[in-house]
Amino acid sequence: MFDRLPLPSQFDRTIISGGTVLALGATPVLVVLAALLVVDRISAPEFVFFLAASVLLAGAAGVVLMKNIVHAALCLVVTLLGVAAIYLLLLTEFLALVQVLVYGGGVVILLLFGLMMTNAQDDPVVTDGSQKPFAFGVAALIAGVFIALVLDAHWGSPEASIVPFRDFGARLFRDFSLPVVIVAVLLDIAFTGAFVNARRAEADSAARGEARS
Amino acid sequence: MIPIENFLVLSGLLFAIGLFGVLSRRSAILILMSVELMLAGVAINFITFASYRDTEAFSGLVFALFVITVAAAEVGLALGIVLRLFRERRTANVDEASSLKW
Repeated sequence: MFDRLPLPSQFDRTIISGGTVLALGATPVLVVLAALLVVDRISAPEFVFFLAASVLLAGAAGVVLMKNIVHAALCLVVTLLGVAAIYLLLLTEFLALVQVLVYGGGVVILLLFGLMMTNAQDDPVVTDGSQKPFAFGVAALIAGVFIALVLDAHWGSPEASIVPFRDFGARLFRDFSLPVVIVAVLLDIAFTGAFVNARRAEADSAARGEARS
Repeated sequence: MIPIENFLVLSGLLFAIGLFGVLSRRSAILILMSVELMLAGVAINFITFASYRDTEAFSGLVFALFVITVAAAEVGLALGIVLRLFRERRTANVDEASSLKW
């Protein structure tokens, strides 16, 4: 059916079919959640929470299951934005902002850059197979134990409360001032190390190229 | 309001999905992405406890901020290493980076 549409490339066809699959998957979730909201089983904040959580978990499943690694990276963007939405629901708008800036802006770009650099010639499809049942067993075990313990505990009914910006800044830069400095030094060392590593590799390969020719 | 268990279960699921990815993927970059998922799960857990249980001191928020910062440093450094590996061996597959296994 996609052949009838005026689409020039395989890429657009991928987007259309992916969007169709997404819509087919998202519609039942939306309908169920809206029905629960209408009959008052869940409150409006819970409705938003379940919406964000389902987007987040679908994105996370995409990251670990997609065959095409560029698609996996795009799923990671969706997941990290979902995490930012969860931070907003936890009333910590500053961390949501930091999440979008650092992850959406920095980390994902770095990862995509790494993907492009390491898969320039190859087919960007990875095959990973044999460890999957083992990995699934371990992950299911840990998730099962954790969730059983969380649901078994008696939490009472605590309420989330907003942390004012001013208090957060005071706590961070007065009580945690030494860790902030240490983290700054760590970032400095890490990025200097990454830079030196990449540069030296470049110099090495250039020297080897000269020696060969 | 939203019960605290919802956030805790979500963080556990996210952590488990990331763990599955770390154990099952072979490409180093995809393993890094899965580690990001695990760190996000842990950060959600920290922030949940900070904003529900620890409303005076909120140390968990500061911790989550440090987690995000260190994760950024980790991705930068690990990508440098992966690029180096790729230049030396023409592969980003962690199963083939086995010089220590003679």
